[in-house]
Amino acid sequence: MLNITPLLEVSGLTKRFGGLVAVKDIGFAIRPGEILGLIGPNGSGKSTVMKLVMGIERIDTGSVKLSGTEVAGWPTHRIARHGVGIVFQHSRPLNRQTVLENIKLALLPDSLLRLVAEPHVDRRAREIAERVGLAAVINRRPPTLPFADLRRLEMAKALARDPQVVLVDEPFAGLTLGEVAVFSELIDGFRRDGRAVLLVDHNVKSVAALVDRVLAMYVGQRIAEGTADEVMQDATVRRVYIGGKIEAHPRKELDVKGREALLDVRSIEVFYGKAQALQQVSVHVNAGEFVSVVGLNGAGKTTLFNAISGLVPFTGDIHWATESLHGRSPARIAREGIVQCPETRELFGDLSVRENLDLGGQHLSRAERDAQLAWLLGLFPILNERQRQRAGTLSGGEQQMLAIARALMMKPKLLILDEPTLGLAPVILEQLSKALARLRETTPITVLLGEQNVTFALPHADRVYVLEHARIVWEGDPARFAEEMGTGYL
Amino acid sequence: MSLLRRRGLWLALLLVMVGCSAPGWMGAYYLGVFTTAYYFSVFAMSWDLLFGFAGEVNFGPTFMIGVGAYAAGLMNNAGYSIPLCLIGGAAAAVVGGMALAMPALRLRGPYFGLVTLVAVLLLLDCIVIFASVTGGEIGMMVPDVLSVSAEVNYWYAFGFLLVSAVILYGLSRSSLGLILQATGQDRIGAAALGFNVTKHKLAAFCVSALFSGLAGGMLTFYGGIASVDTVVSLSITVQIVIAVVFGGRRTILGGILGSIFLILFDELLRPIGQLNTFVVSGIALAVILFFPDGALGWLLRPRDDA
Amino acid sequence: MRGLQILIDGFAISSLYGLGAVGFTLMFGVCGVLNLAHGGIMLIAALFGWWVAADYGAGPYGGAVVGILAGLLASYVTYVVVVRPIQRSRAIPRSEEEIFLLTGTLLWGIMIQVGMDYLFSNNPVTMQPLMPGVIDLFGVRTPTNELLIAAVCWVAIGLLWLLVNHTRIGKQLLAASINPRGLTLLGFELSSIYLVVWTIYGLLAGLAGVLLASFFGVSSDNAGNLTASAFTIVILGGLGSVPGSLLAAYVVGYAETLTAYLIAPTLRPIPALLILVLVLYVRPRGLLGRR
Repeated sequence: MLNITPLLEVSGLTKRFGGLVAVKDIGFAIRPGEILGLIGPNGSGKSTVMKLVMGIERIDTGSVKLSGTEVAGWPTHRIARHGVGIVFQHSRPLNRQTVLENIKLALLPDSLLRLVAEPHVDRRAREIAERVGLAAVINRRPPTLPFADLRRLEMAKALARDPQVVLVDEPFAGLTLGEVAVFSELIDGFRRDGRAVLLVDHNVKSVAALVDRVLAMYVGQRIAEGTADEVMQDATVRRVYIGGKIEAHPRKELDVKGREALLDVRSIEVFYGKAQALQQVSVHVNAGEFVSVVGLNGAGKTTLFNAISGLVPFTGDIHWATESLHGRSPARIAREGIVQCPETRELFGDLSVRENLDLGGQHLSRAERDAQLAWLLGLFPILNERQRQRAGTLSGGEQQMLAIARALMMKPKLLILDEPTLGLAPVILEQLSKALARLRETTPITVLLGEQNVTFALPHADRVYVLEHARIVWEGDPARFAEEMGTGYL
Repeated sequence: MSLLRRRGLWLALLLVMVGCSAPGWMGAYYLGVFTTAYYFSVFAMSWDLLFGFAGEVNFGPTFMIGVGAYAAGLMNNAGYSIPLCLIGGAAAAVVGGMALAMPALRLRGPYFGLVTLVAVLLLLDCIVIFASVTGGEIGMMVPDVLSVSAEVNYWYAFGFLLVSAVILYGLSRSSLGLILQATGQDRIGAAALGFNVTKHKLAAFCVSALFSGLAGGMLTFYGGIASVDTVVSLSITVQIVIAVVFGGRRTILGGILGSIFLILFDELLRPIGQLNTFVVSGIALAVILFFPDGALGWLLRPRDDA
Repeated sequence: MRGLQILIDGFAISSLYGLGAVGFTLMFGVCGVLNLAHGGIMLIAALFGWWVAADYGAGPYGGAVVGILAGLLASYVTYVVVVRPIQRSRAIPRSEEEIFLLTGTLLWGIMIQVGMDYLFSNNPVTMQPLMPGVIDLFGVRTPTNELLIAAVCWVAIGLLWLLVNHTRIGKQLLAASINPRGLTLLGFELSSIYLVVWTIYGLLAGLAGVLLASFFGVSSDNAGNLTASAFTIVILGGLGSVPGSLLAAYVVGYAETLTAYLIAPTLRPIPALLILVLVLYVRPRGLLGRR
């Protein structure tokens, strides 16, 4: 196997966006019939690598070779013609054309003069539809298709080019477990055809059964490489995904059993178009509790929080202090005390730190605002020093602290923290963790925390939910988590 | 599906028959109105090819139309025959279209829209500045006309419309049309399927400019004059946009319905004087608010049984 | 002498252009709407102001107040009747919202223009000067009105600056232009912020219209050109950037004045358009645009 020239060979790949190094010195090779998993959390640069290979983003330095031919710097369409197919995560089919016509499109030559497709195109399109399981819906239009069929259509379009190299972005996102099995089989078919496959995903677990090797990335760099098992056992990977040793600090004084639920999410369901993002999810948070929802990227944590904040439509019911939140605007929900500090932070980058905080406090009276500001600047001393600096120029950790502080300026009854550790260095995590601990000890605040990093999520938690594939799969106290879920999580 | 197609086909045939029989029962005045509407329809269809299929928000269709009309007119004044002038005008329009396409490959959305708008304003200014050659705001008379008979003129326009409609509609349903739609909707996706987006966009601009320029030239030789008000003014652009949006974007043929509606209505509402534009714009506004897919888009909307 | 004259005239014209464009750019920056009925709204303010001032003897100041209120009302109607229905329509895909807003406001602008034409004919009208008389400025005889207009423009722009940078609502506007989602999460209703923007926009467009009527005079035929020049200035300066628009207003104002004085009045609009095309080729986001 080692003698065969790789179909795709990448080396020294580097990409900067402004001052940010998105991808640094990444290299790998994929041989015919081989599947490589490229994994990393959000913002790790894995999708950028895929775009660089495809020529969608311009490469700063490095080389991309297809069967020995250097293609770095080529325009996307030439790279595609040279044998690279890509399956995008979000499909944008032509909605006025049928499935068959959509597949035919991918079979057309890049020519201005050939106005009528050759007869074999129709036959070939039908064969491909058959292969990916679209035969039954071949004359329907994409808007009427279920989500899985739209993903199949993307597969079909990539396959139509008969590419030697297939790049697949998050192959299983939004699919049910049954569909995952079908798509795994499809991708395995690529391997049997002798194609080289690159699977890009958030975590090892979802692609482990399929891949020959895994390359793990974090903040633009390679952190581990090997078989799926080796990577899952790798110390650095575990630190990135789970954090270090799992600890729990139960609070003895808090007895929440008899209390009324402050927030009560009752079996809600959320769909993005046709993809199901949440399935019968029920979660409750009692007053004064610190609840963590843990789950890998893409499990549905952000969707759950957005449903609570009124940002995405849902079915089912969410009760807040005994009243239903249905029909309330997101802004009103925030004013009523459910304040979300989102994963994307949503800071006002061109305003100063102080202005960001002031906006959070605009609903308070002047005296309250001053008191809250003074308290927060004590809780996050770094923000005190940086008051006049533009928020956009802060480091990642400082931005996260600002986002939390800005949310706290609203004096929330319930603070929702979504992935506060995303892309942060370990030393910053420690500071953040301390701040949360102080928050929990010194104030009666109720917190709902969403985290992938279990080590960060558990120490503070009174109760833990595990969200996997759009469903809650486990609920319990943090002490039990290590015993019951610790190994199966990644 | 096939039933739907067939229904559209029957409808088109019926309309062609009505169009053919018109000179038999329609007075000269209304034949003239329809002649204008037919040239207008070609403007609208050419615009829809760019906007609906290639996804380019072009506010400067009258740049290509005007270049075609004035080039043809200038050539005629220099003594060339009408067919030569039409070819020359179309060629000039294609060159203009390419000039317009250049920014389209660099700029997006409103920026490109503005550049096309500026192109029209510059053309307007040039016409006024070189008034000695172009006739300025009054317009440029041409020595030759297609015909003095309303009926013959009608047939020229009708034939031109039919040929243009068949070609443009055929293109839109061809492989090229499919690729154009893909590039218009998702550049990156289309490139990843191996299509050279630049090449296809340029081709779309060429075709659009060719028909716009030809129609502009024909209109000049129909009226005997090329003037700012008939082929360049921004209000023509607005009417083209209205016609396409009203008739239905991405249908090509919708532009014909929209143009005929617009010009006929303008005529019927003549008694209310200046307010007719007000009413027509109001109706068009209501259509885009309540039926964003337009008349033909609504009639032929995809209906799947499943 | 002529140099000084160009300097003074150019300054007044540019200030007026600046005032006409800041509302437009604010609207795009905060609400993401390019309002092609902009010229129409200025026209309404100008014509109603002139009408009340002349026919009802309200005098230039009374006319100005009525004109500004008319502009405000026109702005609200534009928002409620045209813009909001398009933004809320389920039938219009998000990706096509921009073109629908452009087309919708364009049609609305035409309706305004034709409506004004019907009510007031298309004869150019000029409002009485707010302040009659002529001042000798370093040897250049300048109408007092011209100086007053430039001053009013700068006071209005200054007030806008104060509002945006030193009030709570101004901070909300700034924040909304940077990150509307972030503002929602802090409990602010974007819909009320948009209403505030349309109010400010209406007042600014109304004032600009009234001053225009007093400076140059207007006719209903001007609506399209007014929109086009505001659009040009805003794109030249960089969409959504207020300082960029002001800078661009001066570039355009002086380019036009210089051409009119030094080359020929008929060539007046050409250099500005050429500058625009050049800038867009070299720097597509405009002079001070960020994106």
